[in-house]
Amino acid sequence: MTLLEVAGLDVFHGDLQAIFDLSFSVAEGEAVALVGANGAGKTTFLRALIGLIDRKEGSVRFDGDEILTTPAEEIARRGLCMVPEGRMLFDTLTVEENLMMGLLVKRSGSWTLQRVFDLFPILEERRSSLPRQLSGGQQQMVAIGRALMCNPRLLLCDEISLGLAPVMVDQIYGAFTDIRKEGTAIVLVEQDVKRATVASDRVYCLLKGRVSLATTTHNVSVADLTQAYFGT
Amino acid sequence: MAWLETLVNGALLGGLYGLLGIGLALVFGVMRVVNIAHGEFMVLAAYFAVMLVSLFPHVHPLFVLLPVVLAAFAVGYLYQAAIVNRVVRAPDPLAPLLLTFGVSIVLRNLMVEVFGADVRALPLGELSRASINLFGLRIGVMPLLTLVASVLLFLLLQWGLKRTRFGRVVRATADRRDIVRLFGIKPDRVYNIVMGLSLALGAIGGVLLAVRSSFTPFSGVERLLIAFEVVVLGGLGSFWGALLGGIVLGMAQLAGLKWDPNAGLLYGHLLFFVMLLIRPAGLAANRA
Amino acid sequence: MSKGTLILYCAIAGALAIAPLVLGEGGLRFATECLLILSMAQMWNLLAGYAGLVSFGHQVFIGLGAYSLFLISDTFGISPYWVLPAAPLAGALVSAVIALPLFRLREAYFSIAMWVFAEIVAALVMKTSWLGGTAGLPLKSSQLLDVDWLEPVMFWIAAVLAMGSIGGLYLLMRSSFGLGLMSVRDNDLAAMSVGVDVQKNRFIVFVLSAAGCGLAGAVSFLGNLYISPLAAFDVNWVVYMMFIVMIGGIGTLEGPVIGTIIFFGLRELMTSQLGLSGGWYLVALGTIGVAVMLLSPRGLWPPLRDRFGLQLLAVGRKAPSPLAPTALTEKAGSLG
Repeated sequence: MTLLEVAGLDVFHGDLQAIFDLSFSVAEGEAVALVGANGAGKTTFLRALIGLIDRKEGSVRFDGDEILTTPAEEIARRGLCMVPEGRMLFDTLTVEENLMMGLLVKRSGSWTLQRVFDLFPILEERRSSLPRQLSGGQQQMVAIGRALMCNPRLLLCDEISLGLAPVMVDQIYGAFTDIRKEGTAIVLVEQDVKRATVASDRVYCLLKGRVSLATTTHNVSVADLTQAYFGT
Repeated sequence: MAWLETLVNGALLGGLYGLLGIGLALVFGVMRVVNIAHGEFMVLAAYFAVMLVSLFPHVHPLFVLLPVVLAAFAVGYLYQAAIVNRVVRAPDPLAPLLLTFGVSIVLRNLMVEVFGADVRALPLGELSRASINLFGLRIGVMPLLTLVASVLLFLLLQWGLKRTRFGRVVRATADRRDIVRLFGIKPDRVYNIVMGLSLALGAIGGVLLAVRSSFTPFSGVERLLIAFEVVVLGGLGSFWGALLGGIVLGMAQLAGLKWDPNAGLLYGHLLFFVMLLIRPAGLAANRA
Repeated sequence: MSKGTLILYCAIAGALAIAPLVLGEGGLRFATECLLILSMAQMWNLLAGYAGLVSFGHQVFIGLGAYSLFLISDTFGISPYWVLPAAPLAGALVSAVIALPLFRLREAYFSIAMWVFAEIVAALVMKTSWLGGTAGLPLKSSQLLDVDWLEPVMFWIAAVLAMGSIGGLYLLMRSSFGLGLMSVRDNDLAAMSVGVDVQKNRFIVFVLSAAGCGLAGAVSFLGNLYISPLAAFDVNWVVYMMFIVMIGGIGTLEGPVIGTIIFFGLRELMTSQLGLSGGWYLVALGTIGVAVMLLSPRGLWPPLRDRFGLQLLAVGRKAPSPLAPTALTEKAGSLG
């Protein structure tokens, strides 16, 4: 069952085209990795999907409905949610208040505040802290928890390992097994190719705004990936 | 003793000044826009109040506050939706400044043409002259009530922002206008409500100020400058700082008038300027 | 500047030179007013459009320039014409002093703080009896002037100021100082990172615009032979400057010219033809300003310029064009 179907997507930043004729799909419950170098267009692609970029053409179908021109507020309510690059927490809200923002999309599901606290126990301890009082890893947990509280059907994760110690990244990726158990599909955007491919079923590689590789993670070789990543 | 009385009355006036500033601070804090027309909207509210009082002479003048505040909220909502929202996202920081200045010109001169340039006031009869004796000082009743009202409104605003769901939404939108859309919130709608609240608070201030002193269509400039000074004196981003700033300004104002009865707002302005020189971050500033 | 523009400039200068012989007294007065307001608008444009600083208190320099002219001329009994240079000097001095505290403020805070400063100065002047208090001062040394020549001389001075400000700004903007300035306007952090001294540039522009307004103010009130604080420090001066620049096109030299034409055209239309009072005129001005801000934020000149490809006083520069791709690929082969 295809959950997200992207066909022929072009995305523009002002006059510059950033994404060219991109095709991409995610099935229910699947985990898909999206890798590529800095500036390849990964974040632009995610932001376009989620509705934060206006200038785009092509087709984006979520659960059968065309959402290319749907506003971001509405897309979130349909269950397509994002953990933004750089976490983007609400700085004057506490951890708990940040998490509670997820409730505003009014979607039903199994993710509640307590379940998020079970997933990331440290957050329960620090529930009244402000983001600036947390470590990078803890902030990342809040960002993920906040998106989970929306009870998404598809979770877009943009560079969640960026700037974190490996131990922390292990912990966060460990949480993904629980997340996937709920049937949530995930798109993992990472610069760390190894990490992303280990956690996913399929992988896409972006190079200068185009797909340079699309395959399952089982039979992809390091050489293939390197070539697709750098374009050599 | 007379000086102490002046200072105390100045502090009471400060409550009113704080009220003038809080609306401006709210809009700036949430959308980074300084609404230059804030003063004119306050004067407009005063004119509306005067109109209602003359239409319903049997009703106690203070009761007009309710319809005036509701009308101000509606006007603020429309003003934001139709005009200000279009420039909030402009990359040019001059745009909202110039736009709201333009609106202030239109309002000011419209009021001149429609209401005339004569001086108006909102008479409360006995109440505006009443005073009580507190610790041997003569304290005006209206100023005291005004300070109490200001503090209550500040508390209400703080409670609203910290403890209600909508308050969370407002704070989140102020923090990150784009990301908040990922949670189903339309920033433009939030801004509309915030501007409505801002003008509603300004309306209360405007009406209470009209009770205390007279006004003309040109009084908006005074009110804007006071509001601005209050916000800057208190420290940007601090709500209670605005009240503190208002109190300091009020005291300087009345002390200056006592010494030099024809000075108008001069001493308040001077204090502001001096503060700008020695402590630009403001009184309550605790941020880097 | 293209040859065509240079010829146009000289032609206008020539026309202005002989205008007093052609126009009647009323027409001359009107023309003087137009030229003075145009000059002031260019000064405000310099500050806002090129240095990115909006000042809601620039009326203070207009008033200070005028008052210094009146004071010095009357106190020392010197003909006002000789005292005129004191006016821009007064503006420059005061602006240099207040720049220190005010430059710490950004954007709206700078704008309103300037306004507060203007109010302080106005209040101080109104309280000072030897400055005429609230009533103002007549120009006593007007007896030293030949009244017949007053109007033409005022006109010529205004014309020199207007043409000079346009020409001077053009040259300034084409210089390396101007390039640095425009980079500051566009992105001051980036400008700083390439070595542009942001504060110094802003300071120079601030002082220049204050001096220009001081001179324009002095000439304006000299023509009236009377000065009053309410007129001298009226915030409407800034309203006029601002709307002319906004409607015409902020940050362009041609914009304020168009804005001035619209400004006076509208005023004549509304007050003379339609017989409406001054308040309605300001309402119309404000409404047009707001409409322009919403619909055509760059003003009216840039769309006109882009549509018809007009280039009168362009101060922008073109980046060097990239090498044609074929040239590179040809070389590639030879590089082995």
